[in-house]
Amino acid sequence: MIGSAVRDLLQTAFRMAPWPTEAGLRRVGSPGRSSPVLLTSNYDLTVRRVERALRGVDAWLLVAPAHGINVWCAAAGGHLTTHQVVTALKTSGIDALVDHRELVVPQLAATGIEGLQVHRRSHWRVRFGPVRAEDLPAYLAAGGEKTDAMRRVDFSLRDRLEMAAAWACPTAIVLGALAAGLRPAWSLPLVGLCAALAVAVFTGLDRLPHGPGGRWAIAGVAALLCLACVALSGGGTPALVAAAAAPFGLVALLTFDYSGSTPLEGSVLFDGQDWRITLDAERCAGVYRCWEVCPEACFEKVAGESTIALAHDERCVRCGACVVQCPKDALHFEDATGRRIEPDTIRRFKLNLAGRRSVDVSAR
Amino acid sequence: MSTLALMRWLEATPDRYDAGMRAITLGRVTALHDAVSAEAAPGAGREVLEIGCGTGAVTRRLLERGARVLALDQSPEMLERARLRISASGDAPSERIRWLERTASEIDGLPHAAFDSVVLSLCLSEMSATERRFVLARASERLRPGGVLVAADEVRARGPARLLQLLARVPQSLLGWLLAGSTSRPIPDLRAEIEATGLVVRRERRWLADTLALCVAERTA
Repeated sequence: MIGSAVRDLLQTAFRMAPWPTEAGLRRVGSPGRSSPVLLTSNYDLTVRRVERALRGVDAWLLVAPAHGINVWCAAAGGHLTTHQVVTALKTSGIDALVDHRELVVPQLAATGIEGLQVHRRSHWRVRFGPVRAEDLPAYLAAGGEKTDAMRRVDFSLRDRLEMAAAWACPTAIVLGALAAGLRPAWSLPLVGLCAALAVAVFTGLDRLPHGPGGRWAIAGVAALLCLACVALSGGGTPALVAAAAAPFGLVALLTFDYSGSTPLEGSVLFDGQDWRITLDAERCAGVYRCWEVCPEACFEKVAGESTIALAHDERCVRCGACVVQCPKDALHFEDATGRRIEPDTIRRFKLNLAGRRSVDVSAR
Repeated sequence: MSTLALMRWLEATPDRYDAGMRAITLGRVTALHDAVSAEAAPGAGREVLEIGCGTGAVTRRLLERGARVLALDQSPEMLERARLRISASGDAPSERIRWLERTASEIDGLPHAAFDSVVLSLCLSEMSATERRFVLARASERLRPGGVLVAADEVRARGPARLLQLLARVPQSLLGWLLAGSTSRPIPDLRAEIEATGLVVRRERRWLADTLALCVAERTA
């Protein structure tokens, strides 16, 4: 119990680092030949949370080798893909333990795992389950039906505080240790500052104004912070250093690419290109796989027609799950000049623009 | 901007995989590649299955020694680099090389007793224990009687070197991840895992304070 709580704390504080656990098949409860088979990545914190969420359920839990990275990051970064699923299925011996061939995969893995390929290579059918492990019991009880809420990523206060801790802890340790060597009196205030800034960023980032107005606000706050630093230290060299460093620090903090740490915004990096998900309406046959796997509910079914509409483009984080899963290749990335990244390129090289952000797309 | 620089660095790992591996093995990886290819292709005309060919460092040596190679890797980026390396090496023996984008566990789809050698160079330590067991068992089934399995990897050191290895673990892992994008764990007992498949270990060599090992095992019957 205590061991598990300590692990929870440590892994929350240092979740940026991979925490691999042994991949392979685990029993949850007393699973039988018709029990569901669920897949997750071998990130220790994730596996223990999934096991906790499944209390009272009998299931097989297939832990895929994903370099000890959580499901969404691993899938977007090319560490939890069709290959790892096929490996987990083949090496675990699950084929001999159940009578069905249906694998429930976390929805957020849809950007990395190609359901059709898994079926072709292992004869297992992939179903994308809920986003959160806590919804698994309700999802299974409903016979594999997802509610709209189960499909959407949210960013609850708890999630925000966890991400704040994940950023604050390593930063505070490095800065605190540096200060302890150079200026011991600054050590504790710096640790406090790291914690406060991390909480402020993750609780307030999406409430900040965007665009030029937002930048002016940043500059204003930076200037105020400089003045405060000078006033607090009573002048002298340290005050000047702090005053010079503060605005840089603040601007860096507020313009950092948090795409990997929040589900709030798509990345702005990849070579300044404004790639957007684009729909080839004439190819769409109303399979709705995109609607099923989109974690931001960007798609809406068009009433009376079997086709989809990209109704909420503004929410898109460019994870590419819809492109990867569309069996008709009706979705792709396109920029303002009409350049395209085809579905096949996205599938092969995991160019989903959430996980890989620096790749020169034109070279593909 | 700092994020972009970090991303660029991390995402370009296939480009510097070889240099990264050379750095973290203090150059011993070249000797390892030479030894692996010499054991797997002692003469021309050998049928070799290479599991996890990566950027093709061993593949190129196998082809130079006149082998016919089926090279398998799960990463399209790595395969692309391996292909480039082979076509850039000049004589382009395209009829003697076949590439396959598959995971190691999918060798179960290949025919039994079809190869003179199976090569596993620096890929077993990236697998889980379950996966290694599965892959080694299927690999040994792919060998003809008299054929050899050539496995080279990072292993647990013996004696006092073990302490050194444990101390170097954190900086080495960090360096390995930053330079080569590879995370591996030393295999506790490579020889025992190979012998568990029924193969007979004929030779074993070690480098770098006994932390890099090469095992050559034969399928006897």
